[in-house]
Amino acid sequence: MSKPVVIVVGADKGGVGKTTVSRTLLDYFSANNVLTRAFDTESPRGTLKRFHPDITEIVDMTTTSDQMKIFDTLNAASPSVTVIDVRAGLLSPALASLRDIGFLDAAKTGQITFAVFHILGPSIASLDEIAETANFMSGAKYFLVKNFINDTQFFQWDQATYNSYFHRIKDATELTIPKLNEMAYEQVEVSSVPFLKFVANKGVHDEAANYSFVLRGYVRHWLANVWSEFDRIKLTDLVGAGKSTTRGGEK
Amino acid sequence: MSLTPVYIICSPRPLVGKTLMARLLSEFLLLKNGTVTSFDVNLKEPSLLEYLPKTTETADVIDTYGKMQLMDRLIVDDGVAKVIDLGFHAFDEFFKMSDEIGFLKEAARRRVAPVILFVADTDRVSARGHEMLLQQIPPSALVTIDNEYVVRGELPVAMSRGRLLRIGALPPFLKTYIDRLNFSFTDYLRNEKDSSTELHQWVRRNYLGFRELELNLMLQR
Repeated sequence: MSKPVVIVVGADKGGVGKTTVSRTLLDYFSANNVLTRAFDTESPRGTLKRFHPDITEIVDMTTTSDQMKIFDTLNAASPSVTVIDVRAGLLSPALASLRDIGFLDAAKTGQITFAVFHILGPSIASLDEIAETANFMSGAKYFLVKNFINDTQFFQWDQATYNSYFHRIKDATELTIPKLNEMAYEQVEVSSVPFLKFVANKGVHDEAANYSFVLRGYVRHWLANVWSEFDRIKLTDLVGAGKSTTRGGEK
Repeated sequence: MSLTPVYIICSPRPLVGKTLMARLLSEFLLLKNGTVTSFDVNLKEPSLLEYLPKTTETADVIDTYGKMQLMDRLIVDDGVAKVIDLGFHAFDEFFKMSDEIGFLKEAARRRVAPVILFVADTDRVSARGHEMLLQQIPPSALVTIDNEYVVRGELPVAMSRGRLLRIGALPPFLKTYIDRLNFSFTDYLRNEKDSSTELHQWVRRNYLGFRELELNLMLQR
């Protein structure tokens, strides 16, 4: 049996696109035929659950019972990949909990593959989180995700500031999520379907939908760019699945 | 079953004869098929809407909403030929967007046949625009318009290699005559008894050129 994989997507700052990135990950794994389960920590009502209801469970990560639900089932669960969308403000406490229960040690000794997608917003407060999160990252794959939700430059124009954040953590890998056209984003929101279904012009129950061709085109183009970033970091290799030659979404 | 053609008349330069081409082609399609839908994507040039108000709608590609209004109509296989008079200011944005949203691929899937009619000129902006189209548009769907009134001589080599459609120059007094807002090429053909007039022959030659263009498209696809 393959090694369990846990991917945590989070940030301490809100509104930086954590759930959006989680959704692209679930779409990516689905297109690459990687069985995945997801946990949405926006208890009691989760956004991720709305888009991927079949594979998502809402949990409260601050309770022991829900922590058990996630981590005690890692070896038993048939999908070996678990994606956890950690709600705003909970990333550092969640990582501290993982350390306390010995999860991070298990990752360090190679029993579990553990990756953190740390979503950064365009503010110093967001960048300040990097150092804090990095303390927990030994044994984990740490991805710093620059989410271009607006035309931010992530202080690249100020090399000193940029280096102080992005070059301080040695083993972090940077990822770029380009900006998605606003209307396209809103249309997917209204439709409550995964990006992949939206591109395929399908509704919630796989019925034929009638989304704008232009908006579908923008989403397809954007999703392809996001996925090429996932390809670049060899995400399928990380989760122990060879990349399939033809992805579901490319058919 | 035949495809639904979408003719996109374009150039990154103003005043090269795009609207004239759009008028001619729209009137030809209306005469041949009994129906046509034309889109005027112009802000700063003579407007197709003023010439053919009954069959022309305005459109823009400035924002996403405008793009949706236009492109979601163009992608429908409804058997009605479409003509787009694409203003020079919208050239880059239109083709950037169409590349990004995969317009040509989706069109092929939906039995819609876009034909890009690039109105040539000899300047560098036109050369760059043509080069961009060569990279984006398959040769069978790209036609260069050699408007003698604009080019006045040899076409640039790069533009003369692909498919060409030549439009002869008219003498200035006839040019002024056809530029009148109430002038109709088809009405002129119907009402002018003398078929040997220069304008009569010019219109017929251009209509014949469009017919050949259509036939070539049907044979190639």
